[in-house]
Amino acid sequence: MKGITDISHRRRFLAGGNVYLPHIVVIERIIEENPGVRTFHFNFKDEKLREEFTFESGQFGEYSVFGIGEAPFCISSSPTIRDHLEFAVQKVGRITNALHRLGVGTELGFRGPYGNGFPLDFLQGKNLVFVAGGIGLAPLRSLIWNVIDNRDKYKSIDIIYGARSPADLCFKYDLEVWDKDKTVNMVTTVDRGDETWTGRVGLVPKVLEEVAPSASNAVAIVCGPPIMIRFTFPALERLGFTPEQMLTTLEKRMKCGIGKCGRCNIGNVYVCRDGPVFSYAQIKNFISSEY
Amino acid sequence: MSSKKKINKKDIGKLLSRWSQQFTVLAPSMESGVATMAEWDGKDTSFLDWYRNTVIPPKANFFPPMEEMFSFQKDREGYHIELPLVNEHKQLIFGIRPCDAKALAILDMTFEEAYEDPYYLAKRNSAVLVGLGCTNPYDSCFCTSLGISPAESTDVDLMLTDIGDQFLIEEVTDKGKELIAKTSGLKEATETDEARAKEAKETSHNKVTRKINTEGIEDKLLACFDDEDYWEKIAAKCISCGICTFLCPTCYCFDINDELVKQQGARFRSWDSCAFPLYTKMPMENPRLEKWRRVRQRVCHKFEFYPMTFNVIACTGCGRCIRLCPVNWDITRVLESLPVKV
Repeated sequence: MKGITDISHRRRFLAGGNVYLPHIVVIERIIEENPGVRTFHFNFKDEKLREEFTFESGQFGEYSVFGIGEAPFCISSSPTIRDHLEFAVQKVGRITNALHRLGVGTELGFRGPYGNGFPLDFLQGKNLVFVAGGIGLAPLRSLIWNVIDNRDKYKSIDIIYGARSPADLCFKYDLEVWDKDKTVNMVTTVDRGDETWTGRVGLVPKVLEEVAPSASNAVAIVCGPPIMIRFTFPALERLGFTPEQMLTTLEKRMKCGIGKCGRCNIGNVYVCRDGPVFSYAQIKNFISSEY
Repeated sequence: MSSKKKINKKDIGKLLSRWSQQFTVLAPSMESGVATMAEWDGKDTSFLDWYRNTVIPPKANFFPPMEEMFSFQKDREGYHIELPLVNEHKQLIFGIRPCDAKALAILDMTFEEAYEDPYYLAKRNSAVLVGLGCTNPYDSCFCTSLGISPAESTDVDLMLTDIGDQFLIEEVTDKGKELIAKTSGLKEATETDEARAKEAKETSHNKVTRKINTEGIEDKLLACFDDEDYWEKIAAKCISCGICTFLCPTCYCFDINDELVKQQGARFRSWDSCAFPLYTKMPMENPRLEKWRRVRQRVCHKFEFYPMTFNVIACTGCGRCIRLCPVNWDITRVLESLPVKV
């Protein structure tokens, strides 16, 4: 992997050369994933930018609801989709609640893309094991579609995805497609089923150990609530994965997105500037455990 | 050899008036009892008698406590974003202390790194710094432990040294040299003047008696980073007021917020502080909810993380956080009491 502070390869899309000025984007479609989560499809108002804008799976943007404020969310669509962008929002705070009140046609501000993204060079030619919980599928979903759209560059794909209940599952339309895809081993699980649920029941780390994907020439990409991540890394270690073979994307309160406002640090590492994608090997070497 | 100039102290008013034609001249000023660098009123040079250092660090002149980033308004076509009007007049800061000039050089690293910060750099790159050596450092000052001398600086454009009834003027940068070339009314300094300045600098240097040992500080902090008991003890009397961060010349953390009145709004940034629990709060969790973690963050950011990233300690020994702390928290004692067995 590239040095974590090397961001020279990243393209910058600066409005008027000022990194803090947002571009205007328009909400084109809203999907209610579950009662607390919505996916927004959006596009740049500026047509030139629509053509030119590129990003990498795993990168994030700063989204503004004008008058309310700005918050970071990953781009949840794949860079292989060129006609629009997507981000998914769980209603948890001031800005996310404001976002949930908006309708199609509303204008937002967007700055980005920021952060390092998943290391595609490192993933190519490998067996990929995606482990996600709840809305943690959002950043992985960008990578999963990216990988499926370049299927011959990667070996096997396992996706282990779980949510608290069947109603909490996000991106059900994707889960169905991946379930039918013969080149993908899709495993969906819930912590607690309901009367109609006929699928698997069990916590993600436990189901992961039951599915037991081989660690040989494999990389596991993990994202979910912190409690799931904390139990998933040891489960992967028991399956023979080394810390170098585990990737995750971390979440922090990132205001500026560019390593200046100070709040997203873990020791000397800034999640916005040096991440948000880290290997478990990197995380284990962090000075601080404040992640 | 660059020729050195001098000026009579009583002529400082004239000099500042001359510079005022080209620059917005900022000089030490007392505002509601708080010393700060503020626009010079065109006549008052009494600060030469009372000025030791400002309470508000000069970072505020480049990175204000609150700053409009842009305004936005909505009409039938949608949102329009507009940058604030900028003051075209360049700032000349008269009397900046070597510690505070060094602090700006440290801030430059963050604001220049990777993505340039246009608000800070526009003000910074057009400014002229005229340094004034300390003659009367505070007991809380410890700049000499951080490689800074109270009366010498390479981080200013011009450096003035008190040599009695006069100031010796040294050109430090090309920018300073150009300014002197365009400034009339200065006298050539004599060898005696230079000898007197040298002596004055040494005297000032020796007046800074508080010391810390920065040798191996990164390793020492790393060694006790996880010593929760130690940090709990260190943080016990801290009241998380954040004054040490607001008045620190090298602290730069900020928040970004919107204000909106009837479809007309603006985005602002304002100083924020790692002393506050809300600073890192996320909807579901907070990595630095406990006070000891926040105190550890402040100490380690300055003496461990910043050196790891930029190879310089983000402290200049200006002593403000010691002088102005309401509970007498003292960073020099913290650094001297690290529980590391050598």
